[in-house]
Amino acid sequence: MKRFIVYALLIFCSLLFAAPLFWAVTTALKSQSELYLFPPKWIPSDWKFINFVNAWTIQPFNLFLKNTLIVTLLSTIGQLISCTLVSYGFARFEFKGRNLLFLVVLATMMVPWEVTMIPQYMEFNYLGWINTLKPLIVPSWFGSAYFIFLLRQFILTIPRELDEAATIDGASKFGILVRIIAPLMGPALILVGVFQIMSCWNDYLGPLIFLNDQTKYTLTLGLSQFKGMFGVDMQSIMAITCLISIPPLAVFFFAQRYIVGGIAGTGIKG
Amino acid sequence: MAHTYPQTVGKQSASLGPRRKRRWGGAAPYLFIFPWIFGFLVFTLGPLLFSLIISLFDWPIVGKVHFIGLGNYVEMFTDDPLFWKSFGVTLKFAALFVPLNIAVGLGLAILLNQNTRGNAIFRTAFYLPSVISGVALAMIWSWVYSGDYGILNYFLSIIGVQGPDWLNDKNWSLVAMVVASLWGQGSMMLVFLAGLKGIPKDLYESASIDGAGKIRQFISITIPMLSPTILFNLITSIIAAFQQLTLALLLTGGGPMKSTYFYAMYMYENAFKFFKMGYSAANAWFMFLIVLTLTFLVFKSSEAWVFYEGEMKRKPEKTTKSVRKGRSA
Amino acid sequence: MKKKISLVVLTTAMSMMLLTACTGNNESANGTTQPVNGNGSTKVKTLRFATWDTGDALKIEQDIAKKFETNHPGTKIQVEAYADGFDQKLAAGFGATNPPDVMYMWDFPTYHQSLEPLNSYADGDKDLNKDDFYSGLFNYATIENSLYGIPAGFTTRVVYYNKKMFDDSKIPYPKDGWTWDDFQDISKQLTDKAKKQYGFGVRAENDTYDLQGFVWSNGSSLISDDGKTINGYMNSSETASAIQMFGDMVKNGSAVLAGGKGQQSGEDIFKGGKIAMWESGIWPLESFKQAGIDVGVVEMPAFPGKPVKGVVAESALSIAKDSKNKDLAWEFIKYYVSNEAIKMRVADLPVRVSVVKELKKDQDPLYKPFYTMLQRSDNTPAFLLNTKWNEINRQLSAAVESVVHGGNAQDTLNQTVKESERYLK
Repeated sequence: MKRFIVYALLIFCSLLFAAPLFWAVTTALKSQSELYLFPPKWIPSDWKFINFVNAWTIQPFNLFLKNTLIVTLLSTIGQLISCTLVSYGFARFEFKGRNLLFLVVLATMMVPWEVTMIPQYMEFNYLGWINTLKPLIVPSWFGSAYFIFLLRQFILTIPRELDEAATIDGASKFGILVRIIAPLMGPALILVGVFQIMSCWNDYLGPLIFLNDQTKYTLTLGLSQFKGMFGVDMQSIMAITCLISIPPLAVFFFAQRYIVGGIAGTGIKG
Repeated sequence: MAHTYPQTVGKQSASLGPRRKRRWGGAAPYLFIFPWIFGFLVFTLGPLLFSLIISLFDWPIVGKVHFIGLGNYVEMFTDDPLFWKSFGVTLKFAALFVPLNIAVGLGLAILLNQNTRGNAIFRTAFYLPSVISGVALAMIWSWVYSGDYGILNYFLSIIGVQGPDWLNDKNWSLVAMVVASLWGQGSMMLVFLAGLKGIPKDLYESASIDGAGKIRQFISITIPMLSPTILFNLITSIIAAFQQLTLALLLTGGGPMKSTYFYAMYMYENAFKFFKMGYSAANAWFMFLIVLTLTFLVFKSSEAWVFYEGEMKRKPEKTTKSVRKGRSA
Repeated sequence: MKKKISLVVLTTAMSMMLLTACTGNNESANGTTQPVNGNGSTKVKTLRFATWDTGDALKIEQDIAKKFETNHPGTKIQVEAYADGFDQKLAAGFGATNPPDVMYMWDFPTYHQSLEPLNSYADGDKDLNKDDFYSGLFNYATIENSLYGIPAGFTTRVVYYNKKMFDDSKIPYPKDGWTWDDFQDISKQLTDKAKKQYGFGVRAENDTYDLQGFVWSNGSSLISDDGKTINGYMNSSETASAIQMFGDMVKNGSAVLAGGKGQQSGEDIFKGGKIAMWESGIWPLESFKQAGIDVGVVEMPAFPGKPVKGVVAESALSIAKDSKNKDLAWEFIKYYVSNEAIKMRVADLPVRVSVVKELKKDQDPLYKPFYTMLQRSDNTPAFLLNTKWNEINRQLSAAVESVVHGGNAQDTLNQTVKESERYLK
């Protein structure tokens, strides 16, 4: 009986979360005349797969895909390396100003971009980085507060006895990080990787502000080309949304087992 | 963050000799956090200070710049009803959103943490909304919420309920926004799920041998073991609530009758609709200080309720004791 | 101020040098996508052109740019499609003195200080043939006698109607010269609540700019002609009754409230065949046809005994004051508003009399009302009359919103005038 309730809840929630996406897919497949019918038509009478092709080819989406891949890949690598180092530093050391500095880390999460956007633009402009992918990649090599915070919380749950044992064996602080902490952090790092990939993939504002030329555009900027000041091309938006959701979903599908499976491994340590 | 490790830790690990340890301990932490410090100095501090400076100016993006001292702040507090209005809307939203977000995220994570078949599919389904980009998200919600033609009211009418025009009814619009925001809570759920999986199973086993029921186990094992995760999610939820903008911008434009006119929206309009950059910067600094204070208070309080396994032995509280017992068993 | 800015930038830049050294490998990976940077290159001159258009219209603009490139060897037109983020992009561009050279523009009161005055270009260049433009279009781009943009497109507002819905109810199609009383009658007859079908859709969030047409048609205006007084204008009984009419239609059920920004719009509902009449500019016409609606177009109704007045929404092309390629920019604008390019831009209403005559647009029943409404548009919109209009408009928009949600127009507007008068000093 309890099993039954659990499954019923799981299926109900899944439908709740997936139904709107189902609508997005069918909308993308509909013909113009069926788009706005009420009561809504769940299954289009005529499956217009050509809508996907048209949407993808009206602007150079292959190019946008390539740019997005470059940005996502490079920034994710950078984020993983830098956040591991920084969070370890905050979680495992006592040093002067640590608490203050960590508060500053947290504070940077609260800075509204509305006001830092223009000065940041000026800075990148001065460096000649506007209309390149650099503003979207380089900052992530210096750690994001959100991930530093997340990883720090995680490291704090790893028993210190492990470090101490390694220290007695003569390991350096860096050695402890690489040999002991980092392997235990595996799942958390995959979690961070997934989050970074998602946020990078779907970032709209960064690319909008820092890129000018269409040959530099990312997928979300391409997507926004269907929503103008005076009209919306709903089918194309839904078609592109469905298409560009596939890679992150696939990443998530393959990563989730490590995220939830692996952390349990730390249980052994006691 | 206000956890200071008792000196004993340092002494225990000081097998390399006190002098060497001190020197090593002196530079090493800064080396580890150097990337962040550098990035902060280069990418964040400058723009941040700049925004503080321009908050003292009448700084239209096009046109002449004037120094007006605290004029922006004075105007904000004394002569701008929209400032208070939008601040109130945001407080109301945060009060609804933050607890619900934690509860829903934790609830879903617990649901996914049951040993069921097809776990991977369910997890992916629950995470689905988080991969959809903003533009499409707004369209999906407008299709759900539309009064006469929306899918929500369509289903409600089947069971004989006449739903309101959600987004055009000032009594319902904020609730609708909260629900829409909760729908995209995938990352919070995931963080909780990872945290849940990290709780050693033997704790539960020994607890049930001791005769603790499910609810007792939840309170004395799950919650304390999950407390670092809860702290993380609580703080990021608070920040997210105060920065909520996308949905309002794309879905309601702040309406109807300013009922979803979030503070972030107000700031955004001052900057990009009215081009009052200086004023908007002043708005931003006010919000910044509010959120910072809130976060600080939460952190202060966390000393009382957050429990880190890594420093377990130095917290001889009741719950931790029972956990200790369980683990050594 | 400027000094302080450059100091901040300079210090950050110094540290940046260090940074670029640190991330060398990262950069080389990125190198393949290195841009041909705008103004820097010596041989090819790059002109940045910012547009808010999307989809097919954007495609056409890219084609026009390509044609211009072939006609002008050694130039590259970089079409920058800002779409919905147009104002943000311009804010960042102007804020950092790195704006596009040429841009679409309509909000001249806000932006004119950063734009190049074009009087000398427009008057000094015979090729432009200024007299061929519909008279009056230049006024919308003129502030204190300086011309800041060349009209590229415009629209007036009309009433679209769904012919099939009229046929089904055996109601004759509306004709030019009809009145708001006719309009309300028809709307009532076409409403069938059980079928969720309505005669008309009222926007939940109105742009007060568009409402000016109604207010003028009722013999009033939002602000005095000298731009100094709103009391007795914005809250006159004529203004109030024009706005009240829409609130009443929602209240008595003969119109549905169509969603605000980003929601299911009146256009969407019209395409679904659930509202019979919709008031708008030229924008949705193409999509109505594509959705398979047999659509008719008629000019605005009149208030009994008063002349109908129209309001023009114009899009123009402007040159940034900071542009380093002003002459090339002018050449591009000139080409953009030439007969050849106008004919390529099929979704826009042509701004040149000669093109309209040639294409017989003024005889096409779907387009003719736009041009008759253009002839009726001789009032000056409020935002050109007062520099603080943005602030006043913020209050007025809230007032109009509360009226369509059931408020009393006269009371609300009186209140708004009281609250807004401080902006007039």
